[in-house]
Amino acid sequence: MNTTPQQLVDTLSGLSLFADLSRPQLEQVAHKLSEESFPEGQRILRQGFSGTGFYVILEGEVAIRIDGKEVARLAKGDFFGEMSVLLGEPPVADVVALRQLHVLHLGGPDLEGFLREHPTVMFRMLRTVALRLRNASRWRS
Amino acid sequence: MAELDERPFPPGDYPVVVVGSGPGGLQTSYFLRGLGIEHALLSADEKPGGMFLHFPFFQRLLSWTKPYAQVDRHDRAYEWYDWNSLLADEPENRAIMAELMDGSSSFPSRPEMELNLASYAERTALRVRYGCRWEQTRREAERFVLSTSDGDYRCKVAVFAVGVAEPWKPDTPGFEHVAHYVQTREAASYAGKRLFIVGKQNSGFELATGLLPWAQRIVLASPRPAKLSVNTHSLLGVRARYVQPFEDEVLGGGVFILNASIVRVERFADGFRVHCLRSEGGGELVVDAEEVIAATGFTSPLRDLPDLGVNVFGQSRLPSMTNYWESSSLPGIFFAGTIGQGSAGMKKYGLPSNSGAVHGARYNARIMVGYVARTYFGHKLERPAVAPEQLIDFLLDEAALAPELWNQKSYLARAVSLDAREGMRDEGFVPLAHFVDEEGPPAVAITVETDDKGSIHPAVYVREEGRPAVETLLEPHPLHDFRTPANRARLVSLLKRPSDGRAE
Amino acid sequence: MPISEEEKSAALSRVPLFEGVSEESMTRLSAVTGEVEFGARQFIVTQGQVGSGLYIIVSGAARVVSGSHELARFGPGDFFGELAVIDQQPRVASVQAVENTVCLALASWDLLELLKHDPTLSQNLIRGLAARLRSTSEHHRH
Repeated sequence: MNTTPQQLVDTLSGLSLFADLSRPQLEQVAHKLSEESFPEGQRILRQGFSGTGFYVILEGEVAIRIDGKEVARLAKGDFFGEMSVLLGEPPVADVVALRQLHVLHLGGPDLEGFLREHPTVMFRMLRTVALRLRNASRWRS
Repeated sequence: MAELDERPFPPGDYPVVVVGSGPGGLQTSYFLRGLGIEHALLSADEKPGGMFLHFPFFQRLLSWTKPYAQVDRHDRAYEWYDWNSLLADEPENRAIMAELMDGSSSFPSRPEMELNLASYAERTALRVRYGCRWEQTRREAERFVLSTSDGDYRCKVAVFAVGVAEPWKPDTPGFEHVAHYVQTREAASYAGKRLFIVGKQNSGFELATGLLPWAQRIVLASPRPAKLSVNTHSLLGVRARYVQPFEDEVLGGGVFILNASIVRVERFADGFRVHCLRSEGGGELVVDAEEVIAATGFTSPLRDLPDLGVNVFGQSRLPSMTNYWESSSLPGIFFAGTIGQGSAGMKKYGLPSNSGAVHGARYNARIMVGYVARTYFGHKLERPAVAPEQLIDFLLDEAALAPELWNQKSYLARAVSLDAREGMRDEGFVPLAHFVDEEGPPAVAITVETDDKGSIHPAVYVREEGRPAVETLLEPHPLHDFRTPANRARLVSLLKRPSDGRAE
Repeated sequence: MPISEEEKSAALSRVPLFEGVSEESMTRLSAVTGEVEFGARQFIVTQGQVGSGLYIIVSGAARVVSGSHELARFGPGDFFGELAVIDQQPRVASVQAVENTVCLALASWDLLELLKHDPTLSQNLIRGLAARLRSTSEHHRH
């Protein structure tokens, strides 16, 4: 995937995590996060490892595996890694690229500051985590 | 009568073709030759040095070579104090940069770096076909065919060490009239001018620092605030020696640092008018300047490789690659030198590797060549036996001293396989991301890591048969001597093998 | 009888979502939490309706109904909509007052407005949810 900064900002504007951001704010986000690419089969998050970061998928698909068993899949617009970073604990699952993966990456130590600077992103993340909890435990709400 | 072309490597068939005569190409060629793999080394330039033939314009390099250090220059461990010399097996060809430094600085100037690389090529007698420009690429059966200005080269494996030095400017209206960093002229020609620099990374600040004595006024602009390495406590961000423009701004001396994006640039006979939009809702700002320079970055000149099937990503158009720096979409195409930063590795705590710099890329080249030799040319890895009673010391010594691990923290590791039948064998240096994900025989790998608090400590990865590796972080030490009783004990318990009774 | 701010704070802090929230944030939360009264047989929320808030029962009683089945009974101290206040998913069941019932109600848009200005509270909430999600997924592993 060949991206100019403008194309990257266009892609970001279509992701729900960043849906509330203006164009200049999207440009800031694009600058703060770094683009990375992983081949098929590459682990991006590793169960039990330290130093995890936060990732947003720009293109491609990943499988979430716990002890080798797939429990979910994520695709363009989804994010992962935030739980480990926010809780300060290693991941409990592997995240593996199912095909060539193109992501934006933010180092763990920078996530808190980033969310503080973009409270709407934090709220969208909060909603997604709430939804995941709802699906995982079938809450009575 | 036609002149005889005495240049080496005429067009034809070669097992490997390497393109580029900067640090990446030279280092790769050296190791290929060392393994007896016939190859052609081609370069469009007239002499060795790559990007260091031209950049940086001002100032010295950002990588150190300390002529006086705690270890002897010809020791392997000296490589931690010398980030600019290429690697060699012969002691007399090591640490060449250190010989060229006169002691007035631990950072070489560009001419010194250029001389370093030229000396290396000469002393190791590397042969290069200069003045041969790679132009097109295609596939024919099991071969790649590289069309050059001298003719076609066929090869099984191609290594591209072409750098990331192709100027890139955004297509903001008016930028077609704006000079790029690479077009910067002699400093004196900017005397008395108002200068507008787009970009606040090292190249932008390098220009600002170099032109500070000459320009009447300097405005630096980019959307986000500059990150300073003294604040990030790492090599990320603008390096300490470029702090002068910041100080100048604080003192009100004529430097202005803006967080703004450029909306458009108008050109007039006597200068430019730059229309900016300030970040964080500051509104519009119009700045006039006689000179505008776009320090907006570079891309990798990969020519038609993307059309051939090499996936690229990001603003620099880096190729997507495996942990062994092979194109992840077109096997047989490898990358060396600064392009190797496309293999990000673990990037723990968000810290990148040094694959984009000489002191990381030189080790990558050695490992990559070994991988090519085994995977494409049937070579077997030499795997010396490790005596069980020496394993712990071996691992901790490597963590304390190995420049491969210190220069590429969390990225390269020293591995020892622990197969019960074969005995313990030294597997050499491996990309860490590959080791921890590979399904293989029982093995252990050690590396040096750092974290967000600046602690430097060894990390051990133990792999059992058929299972991915498990991470264990060891204790740091104030003088980085990791051979502590606590670390020893930890390793003993990690490597205890009740199944074959080989407990330490 | 109007409910005091202290009683509101106390009721809110018993909701797991708000565990560990600072006093300052709790005061702000209380300020935007209102009281609503429902007569007997009135529906507090309806199944399928977009969830818009968190309800905590202060006095009275209510029944949880899905279709025609009664699933549970709520009394003082019980709450629902803890996740709906964040993700606004449709209600999975109706909640109907059985007698005169007074509830505290926190609307999701009021919470969102608060979160925009209180990043610490946001972070607390995400961390709390993440921790619960983690313990749920670990539970499922065994």
